[in-house]
Amino acid sequence: MSATTIAKKGNHPSNTDSEYLLEVVDLKKHFPIKAGILQRNVGSVKAVDGVSFKVKRGETIGIVGESGCGKSTAGRTLIRLYEPTAGNILFKGRNISNMGESELRRSIRKDIQMIFQDPFASLNPRKTLKYILSEPMITHQMYKGKERGEKIDELLEKVGFNPMFVNRYPHEFSGGQRQRIGIARALAVNPDLIIADEPVSALDVSIQAQIINLMEDLQDDLGLTYVFISHDLSVVRHISDRVGVMYLGKMMEFAIKKDLYDEPLHPYTQALLSAVPVPKRKGVERRERIILKGDLPSPSNPPQGCVFHTRCPAATAICSEKVPEYKEVKKEHFVACHLY
Amino acid sequence: MTALLELRNLKTHFKRDKIDIPAVDGVDLTINKGETVALVGESGSGKSITSLSIMRLIPSPPGKIVDGAILFNGNDLVNLTEDDMCKIRGNDISMIFQEPMTSLNPVLTVGEQIIEVLMYHQKLSRAASINKAVEMLEMVGFSRAKALINEYPHRLSGGMRQRVMIAIAMSCNPKLLIADEPTTALDVTIQAQILDLMKELSVKYDTSILIITHDLGVVSEVADKVVVMYCGQVVEEALVDDLFDEPLHPYTIGLMGSIPSLEGETDRLQSIEGTVPPPEHFPIGCRFAPRCPHAFDRCRAEAPKLVEVAGRRKVRCFLHSDKEATV
Repeated sequence: MSATTIAKKGNHPSNTDSEYLLEVVDLKKHFPIKAGILQRNVGSVKAVDGVSFKVKRGETIGIVGESGCGKSTAGRTLIRLYEPTAGNILFKGRNISNMGESELRRSIRKDIQMIFQDPFASLNPRKTLKYILSEPMITHQMYKGKERGEKIDELLEKVGFNPMFVNRYPHEFSGGQRQRIGIARALAVNPDLIIADEPVSALDVSIQAQIINLMEDLQDDLGLTYVFISHDLSVVRHISDRVGVMYLGKMMEFAIKKDLYDEPLHPYTQALLSAVPVPKRKGVERRERIILKGDLPSPSNPPQGCVFHTRCPAATAICSEKVPEYKEVKKEHFVACHLY
Repeated sequence: MTALLELRNLKTHFKRDKIDIPAVDGVDLTINKGETVALVGESGSGKSITSLSIMRLIPSPPGKIVDGAILFNGNDLVNLTEDDMCKIRGNDISMIFQEPMTSLNPVLTVGEQIIEVLMYHQKLSRAASINKAVEMLEMVGFSRAKALINEYPHRLSGGMRQRVMIAIAMSCNPKLLIADEPTTALDVTIQAQILDLMKELSVKYDTSILIITHDLGVVSEVADKVVVMYCGQVVEEALVDDLFDEPLHPYTIGLMGSIPSLEGETDRLQSIEGTVPPPEHFPIGCRFAPRCPHAFDRCRAEAPKLVEVAGRRKVRCFLHSDKEATV
């Protein structure tokens, strides 16, 4: 897959021959908590606290976790929408974690685009489709004059729209259609990597399937790489090649999809997978349910040791003392747990 | 089995710009004692309006129950006065909502909100109500219930708030609990806790549950019987095992094909083309015809009726009614 992808992307010279498009090393994002008249720092919310993973060209990485686990913050930090507190982000072999804003805009921004969750809030209601789709091209000075109109028609056709719609406004479209517009906008500047943050969560299931199919078709067509952030474990299983599970700002487990879903190693992944209600299907055994006690602890005051030990059915004494190391325990199967 | 609630040809219409909008258009539904029935459909299918109609909580104007009957223990709720309805709401029929963040009063303590229900419906003294409130909170799994009754909702997480909602709803030991998307706003591990709790309570108190959801996973987890709605009408009704073993209506089949599986691989999702039409543009024939892969001429000209198939399930589709007719 990766060889053909690079061939297709001939207009984007790559600085390195590495098979990885994106490498995230020990990424941290802490938000300060300020209090008092002087707004002194009294602590921090460790939204992302040491996350590492690598993304190959042309693959889809799924990141799952419950609300508040830091998956969206991780997605936004790794494209520098938030300034990282620590850690390195290597995109096409270049470290972008401390690159200046103007250089970032000149050389990286157009290669990474984002699709957002809420198709109602992420499109400007006062602009026509034509403007919404040309704005990224204006910013990056691409496709001038007649070419721009042609590109917009092409984009609309790609996402299943009639090019006649260019002069319409977002309110004239349904949720699923708006999400298609969001996808077309992300594609306007021919990106390599798309960060999709809960792109189908706000949609009905029949529409959700249309959007997922569209994203898969576009990936095959254009050789795109996706980082797909979602709380829906079934959707992530369907679309991803490799999947990471986050809990309280930490990556708990990261593996090839099949390994993660068939043989989850981390107790949290096991509990999470068992909690998903699945429609009965003939000949499919249901997983034995592990009900986790209690709620997610606050990320401003995470538990000592392993962050999951307060809810973990397999916790032992060491879990509350020492932070487990995130290590490769099987081939391409990373886990942060004292059991392994 | 005796029917606890029976909807007969329920029609709830809304008026907008002098146009009649049939949000619920002739729904028949029976819930037996102790049974859990799931009402399934996408947004705009009329499932929430059906539940609000049962509670008589439709804002009027613009909404109105224009036809049909809602028989609860044999009494027609449609004709009750507002005073009589107040005695039923929260007492015989109670409801929990999707959004646990907005359905609790933020300026009253948790305890106060349970006590209010008990004093009004059960005519308990304040002291007795407080004891009962603590008991209810313990029942839904709070370990420090005594302290909790003095706390305000903002101090609780989403899952805890939903458990408080369930404690309020169950406090008068209702015969019917209506749960409108009770776990949609919650994380999966919390959702599992809440669904478990609802199952446990329905067995313990022999409460019937009407659960409204778009999540087929939740349906197969809790329901005995499933009613699938599309565009204000019931398109299929079956026991949960029958429905998942062999869905009959093309819409139900499409819905099931749309969800990716957690077990095993699927190459491509079967999506349903197009979108749910708005009520003012419902097609003349079968309302699903424009999106249906099996639609033929008759579907576009004539509206199918809900017919009984195989003696124990119902479906609104010519593919099945024709077959039955020729047998």
